Amino acid sequence: MAIKLTIKKSSAWLDLSQSLSGVILAVFLWTHLVLVSSILLGSDAMNWVARTMELSFLSDDGHGYPLVVTGIAMGIAALALVHVLVALQKLPMSLRQQRALRQQMQVINHSDTRLWRWQAITGVVILLLLPVHLWLIGSAPETIGPQGSADRIWNQGVWMVYLPLLLTVELHAAIGIYRVALKWGAARDLNSRSRLRKIKTIVSVLFITVGIASLLAFLPHAS
Amino acid sequence: MKLIYTDSLVVGAGLAGLRVAIASKERGLDTLVLSLIPAKRSHSAAAQGGMQASLGNAVKGMGDDEDVHFQDTVKGSDWGCDQDVARMFAHCAPKAVRELATWGVPWSRVSAGPRDVIVNAQKVTLHEAQEAHGLINARDFGGTKKWRTCYTADGTGHSLLYAMDNKAISMDIPVHERIEALALIHDGKRCHGVIARCLITGELRAYVAKSTTIATGGYGRIYEVSTNAIICEGIGQALALETGVATLGNMEAVQFHPTAIVPVGILTTEGCRGDGGLLRDKDGYRFMPDYESDKKELASRDVVSRRMTEHIRKGKGVDSPYGPHLWLDITLLGRKHIETNLREVQEICENFLGIDPAKDWIPVRPTQHYSMGGIRTNATGESPQLKGLFSVGEAACWDMHGFNRLGGNSLAETVVGGMIIGKYVADFCENNSLEIDTQLAERFMQQVQSEIDLLIEGDGHESAFALKREMQRIMMDYVGIFRNGPELDKAVAELKVLLERSRKLGLKCKKRHANPELVEALRVKRMLKVALTVACGAAARTESRGAHAREDFPQRNDRDWLNRTLASWPDADALEPVLNYEALDVMKMELPPGYRGYGINNAIVHPDTEKREQQIANILAELGEDADRYQRQRALMPFELPESLQPNNERLSDTLKSPSANALGEKS
Amino acid sequence: MSQGRQLTFNIFRYDPQEPNDKPKMVRYQLTETPGMTVFIALNKLREEQDTSLQFDFVCRAGICGSCAMVINGFPTLACRTLTAKYPKGEITLMPLPGFELIGDLSVNTGKFMRELAERLKLWLHPKSNDISVHRLEDPMDPDEAARLYELERCVECGVCVSACATKQMRETFVGAVGMMKIARFEMDSRDARTAEDFYHVIGNQDGVFGCMTLLGCQDNCPKDLPHMQQIAYLRRKMAMTLIR
Repeated sequence: MAIKLTIKKSSAWLDLSQSLSGVILAVFLWTHLVLVSSILLGSDAMNWVARTMELSFLSDDGHGYPLVVTGIAMGIAALALVHVLVALQKLPMSLRQQRALRQQMQVINHSDTRLWRWQAITGVVILLLLPVHLWLIGSAPETIGPQGSADRIWNQGVWMVYLPLLLTVELHAAIGIYRVALKWGAARDLNSRSRLRKIKTIVSVLFITVGIASLLAFLPHAS
Repeated sequence: MKLIYTDSLVVGAGLAGLRVAIASKERGLDTLVLSLIPAKRSHSAAAQGGMQASLGNAVKGMGDDEDVHFQDTVKGSDWGCDQDVARMFAHCAPKAVRELATWGVPWSRVSAGPRDVIVNAQKVTLHEAQEAHGLINARDFGGTKKWRTCYTADGTGHSLLYAMDNKAISMDIPVHERIEALALIHDGKRCHGVIARCLITGELRAYVAKSTTIATGGYGRIYEVSTNAIICEGIGQALALETGVATLGNMEAVQFHPTAIVPVGILTTEGCRGDGGLLRDKDGYRFMPDYESDKKELASRDVVSRRMTEHIRKGKGVDSPYGPHLWLDITLLGRKHIETNLREVQEICENFLGIDPAKDWIPVRPTQHYSMGGIRTNATGESPQLKGLFSVGEAACWDMHGFNRLGGNSLAETVVGGMIIGKYVADFCENNSLEIDTQLAERFMQQVQSEIDLLIEGDGHESAFALKREMQRIMMDYVGIFRNGPELDKAVAELKVLLERSRKLGLKCKKRHANPELVEALRVKRMLKVALTVACGAAARTESRGAHAREDFPQRNDRDWLNRTLASWPDADALEPVLNYEALDVMKMELPPGYRGYGINNAIVHPDTEKREQQIANILAELGEDADRYQRQRALMPFELPESLQPNNERLSDTLKSPSANALGEKS
Repeated sequence: MSQGRQLTFNIFRYDPQEPNDKPKMVRYQLTETPGMTVFIALNKLREEQDTSLQFDFVCRAGICGSCAMVINGFPTLACRTLTAKYPKGEITLMPLPGFELIGDLSVNTGKFMRELAERLKLWLHPKSNDISVHRLEDPMDPDEAARLYELERCVECGVCVSACATKQMRETFVGAVGMMKIARFEMDSRDARTAEDFYHVIGNQDGVFGCMTLLGCQDNCPKDLPHMQQIAYLRRKMAMTLIR
């Protein structure tokens, strides 16, 4: 078995890489949120998580290597860039396409198409907000602990970025995973499709709740 | 004037037309098809049940061959068919089925081992032979000795049409869609093509061709309720009729299908009864065994339709706002069978009746279904009067159906007739040159143009829609399943009045391009002439034969009526056709007229019948015991076929070394 | 029978061949009769109220696929849509988007389907041309035949194309109908083409890799064809050609 890398088959590679980058990003996103939500268990828990992220257990002084966080941020940025570039081809870029889409959606009532439009809209919002988040973290990797985060979120007003980012990204990721599952044939019949759709909604709601709770949990640490 | 030249012109893109086009193109001829609609929308797609071909793969088809298929077809026709043609057909049917398999039709296949079927309301277990596994299967249909109807679930016509059109596309055969032929270009001896109108732009075009093949299907829509698609309006027959030279054969032979749903008249396939469905009356009583103890629900279509009507007349019908009906019960077949093999039926029941046929009975009544009559052709498919005019399929009276068609023989006719006649059409095109008389084409173009001008600019006031409705009602009321002299005379008289009124049609919509009212007006004038050939033919034929049942003349009369009605319309201003008759020669028949096996045998015999029977006995005796069935057949009635279609058909029974009854037989 | 209720039809009217005509919605009133379908209603409207009204019907039994149009926001076959389905009695009819408009509710699906068939070579490519119609046919697995028929039930009505937002944005996209047919031939053991051959036809942005899995096709198909499963199958099959 060998993998063939041919320009001729670029479409397959593009489509695969969109699905794959999306899945990795979503998995990272959900892991990330679970880690951040450690604040709900108190600042000690989060401190421990943050230090572990910095690989403190490898360094002698226990301070770890905050650059690891910068590295992760850069990796995510790169992956997101791939995802965006590939996904852009599927979006209506010209005016003609946008008009055709709008007309069709006016005439035909179809919920999955509306869902996709939300995915596209949230995607564009994420495209604007994510770089801010990644820059803030990547440029100050030592501040991912409870105090640093709380200060950033509430004192510097970054919650105005984080809250919309949380909402859009959790919608986008869940819809995206739902679509990837259908796309490659995970839903064998319609029954499991409607079940998948339910799971997708639950995942979005769950993570948005956890996210908002976490944001609020930082409030006492911002002084 | 827009002129388009081609070698082989085909009007109609259903199965028969496409098959002829393919045959022409295979020989390198320039081929062009005209169609009212996209080819894949043709009414051929509606044939659900299947097509007959004596493959004999399934255990209930064992022992089947061309001879049995031929005999069933002739009996089914009530001896009205052309026996040469029935032979040509029976011989080529297996070839057509096998050819279609290589073009992509996913014929339902035989599974070796036991399978449960319903026969005569009883569950029976059939054991299919190991050797037959994967070969083309067959189901039971009315009026046949063997299970002979090859099928793909209940979408056989659909599968066939799609495979056929795909083949035509692969051969790059152009189909000019949304084009309606309105007149034949001819000089009284030779046909040179058609004048046609584009239904989108309204443009008139002259299509000039060596051969013109009309494959436009039947004329069911001259009736108010019909199972036919709404485009089956007999315009092809009218094209031939309006030449004044070409003849239409047996137009009074109109088939009523026993089981169309009430009220809309959509067909539920004969496969319902073939697979074991029953007919019940208002008391839930299964009445068919009382009338036909042998074949019961699976008697020939004309017989079942008449029996149902009789039963309704006895007051046993179920009352509804749309008149009385009976029940078709397929609940005993089980949900699984219905959801796989009768799914179109299930969809129709759900969508149009809101019932579940696995639980509920289906309201049905006999409804106009098939036109045995059509453009009269000889065995090669060519009009005896107009050289270069061919016709095939339901549009034609090639005459393998006579006065009643067997279920499964119409789909078969389209592809088998197309296969055979296609070769003759190609021969004709190779042996004849294109004769272009632009003046002649212009004259016909002018004629159609002034017809349209008069409709749009004239001061007529009659409504095309209203005239059509009246015609349909007359045909329904007076030229239906049971006919009688006074009613038929009334029909003729009223239709004549309508024909006269149709000369004063006026339009509300004056557009010259896409204009549905103009289309309707052009058609209704032509349909009225076709309706008159049906009514006049029926009024003149004072006997009962096949689907033509006269209450005042209930006997089949071979002595006086063993002939074919030929209708023509030489005087364009006349109000009725001229009828002539073409005798069927008993002395040439392989199967002389006999008892069909339904009801009482009350036929008035033909004087030659006994003579011919004696002759046949002598010929067979002379041949001796050693002669095989092919030699016997040739001795009795030799028939012609294109060389490439002459070889014998191989069957499973030929390839098995010793087909033991044990291995193949039924163990129920 | 009691007097039926009044139905209100809002119908898209436009004749592109009429120089000064502009697209508009026109209201019509009609008394409902028992068992009335949109087919019956439209014919009544044409006969009684406006003889210029354009629409396409052929089989009027849900078999031929001629009469697809958008009824109250859902593309479907008009012939088998009962008016009783709409409790408010308001019915809005639009032509299928994404096809050449002939006039009013009539669109040129036939032209589209023929071009698609030519482009994707949607016919059986037999493994051998040396076939005798006189000999016993080649056997085929009965289950395979049944599976193929399931995919053959497409009536080319155009609903999947009009319900596909991807197709609206990308004119050259083959749509579900094209992919379903490719899948049908891919699964046919009689067809000589390999996955690699099919890749050349649909392994691109106009084919399976351009499809965004919005599933308007599956959700509206009047024949309930398994688009989602088949397109996913095809996509996996095409992606597998990357690995050898």
